[in-house]
Amino acid sequence: MMTVRDLSVFVAGHELLAGLSFDILPGEFLGILGANGVGKTTLLRTLAGLRPIEHGNVRIDDRDARALSPAERSRAIALITGDELFADRLTVREVVSAGRYPHHHWWQWREERSDADAIAYALAAVDLEGFAEREFLTLSSGERQRVWLALALAQEAPLMLLDEPTSHLDLRAAHEILHLLRAQASGGKAVVCVMHDPNEAAAFSDRVILLGKGGILAAGPRETVLSPERLELAYGLPMESLRTESGAPRVFPRHPA
Amino acid sequence: MLTAALLLAAVGALFVGGTTIGPNAIFGALMHPHQGEIATIVWQLRLSRIAIGATVGAALAVAGALLQGLLRNPLADPYLTGVSAGAAVAIVLGFLAGIGIAAIPPLGFVAGLATTAIVATLARRGSGIDSTRLILGGVSLSALFAAIIALALTRAASAGAAQAIVGWLAGTLSGRGWNELALALPYVALGLALAFLSAPALNALRLGDVRAGSVGVDVARAQWTILAATSLLAASAVTLSGTIGFVGLIIPHAARRIVGSDARYALLASALLGATLVIVADAVARSAFAPAEIPLGVLLAFIGVPTFLYLYLHDRRATA
Repeated sequence: MMTVRDLSVFVAGHELLAGLSFDILPGEFLGILGANGVGKTTLLRTLAGLRPIEHGNVRIDDRDARALSPAERSRAIALITGDELFADRLTVREVVSAGRYPHHHWWQWREERSDADAIAYALAAVDLEGFAEREFLTLSSGERQRVWLALALAQEAPLMLLDEPTSHLDLRAAHEILHLLRAQASGGKAVVCVMHDPNEAAAFSDRVILLGKGGILAAGPRETVLSPERLELAYGLPMESLRTESGAPRVFPRHPA
Repeated sequence: MLTAALLLAAVGALFVGGTTIGPNAIFGALMHPHQGEIATIVWQLRLSRIAIGATVGAALAVAGALLQGLLRNPLADPYLTGVSAGAAVAIVLGFLAGIGIAAIPPLGFVAGLATTAIVATLARRGSGIDSTRLILGGVSLSALFAAIIALALTRAASAGAAQAIVGWLAGTLSGRGWNELALALPYVALGLALAFLSAPALNALRLGDVRAGSVGVDVARAQWTILAATSLLAASAVTLSGTIGFVGLIIPHAARRIVGSDARYALLASALLGATLVIVADAVARSAFAPAEIPLGVLLAFIGVPTFLYLYLHDRRATA
């Protein structure tokens, strides 16, 4: 679905990450972890085409990402970010309908049947059927995050990139979001998710990329990447691991006893 | 409903003027444009003025709606980018230099566009536009130009020249005719076309630049298109009528209250409401203290400020 080869990521002319090579496959949940400031958000925006690819190659379904028009790109990739708010009083449906933009020609003003179907499907997929006419700004953080997810689903892109979708959410809301994403991956979408909690990554992702300063520290199946030793390297913090009742490994910072 | 209001305002305004003309005579004059004195009054004075009022009102309101959407700032008005200050300073200096009256509108138009271009260049970031820098640049240049105008007024050679300048700055539709309108109309049409083509992108931009980019909006291109449309509309309006305030600030708010914030409908409603407001206000300005005429810009500020404060306070109560 997406192949990344020798990609570098820049911020203001400064190279944050270099030599990134990995594949993103349909039906997989790929977690991306790393310390603050390491370049996770910039990497996602570069993959989404919102920042120029200055060095390296990104191919989407075997086409050079740089050759795609903005609309073509957005039909292939949806970026979900939570950090920009807005002032207008928009309904949930108005927000979600923005996802239909790349499916319209510039002269197309009216909503088609396919738009209405995609929006209804997206709202149902995130359990927000009754929320279409609710004002977005009256929603809770967890509900808002589900609206952003619905916006991406309405976009009907097979690849979804998410930037910390569970930050600011309580345990239950975070759990629900991750379950929704897991379900999307099981349904055939490729889900790439920047995360902070290694245990959320351990519970929900298939593969994990652990970023360190300058590049990839480790990449592969979650069990091998999320070891205490590697996380110590990534976060500069002593770690220890425990096992759950079912035997799955979990890692925590080593606290003084 | 808004279209009906506009038509009603236009028809009503036909009856307002120094000479009292009955409905039958006006209808007759409309049917036979070249017969008699009444036809001349109706066609050359009143109808042209109504058409100019409608054009100016629609252009300012749409420009305001565009800029408020682009900057995601409800306080943006079409003059924010310095377009009116740039036009004004050029026109004032032109007056003082004694250039011909025919050269005034094109001079103001070009200077207005040039000012926006300078401000936009200052606000450039990457391939797009930084809204904070756009506002800062526009406000700074406007302040500079206001100072130049003040200086020019104190140094104006004659009281007549100073009065002409003040009259123009206060905003008026008097003394304009079909010729001025014909000159401005292509630019207004182009501005409106760009505005309405930008409506879907403007809708996506409501969610922020990153999300708009993520759903496939070419954000930089949309920003430049919207800014170009704003400048064309505002520069045309300033050229036609001088500085008329508050239409571009308040009408978009009123329009969104009526039809919601979907840019496709909000732009259309802004155009209709803006045209209606300026036609009505101009009719009042002409007739309230006839034969004296209140400057249209002054009258609109008298109507506009209380309306704006009411909307603002009302909104605060609603959200409190």
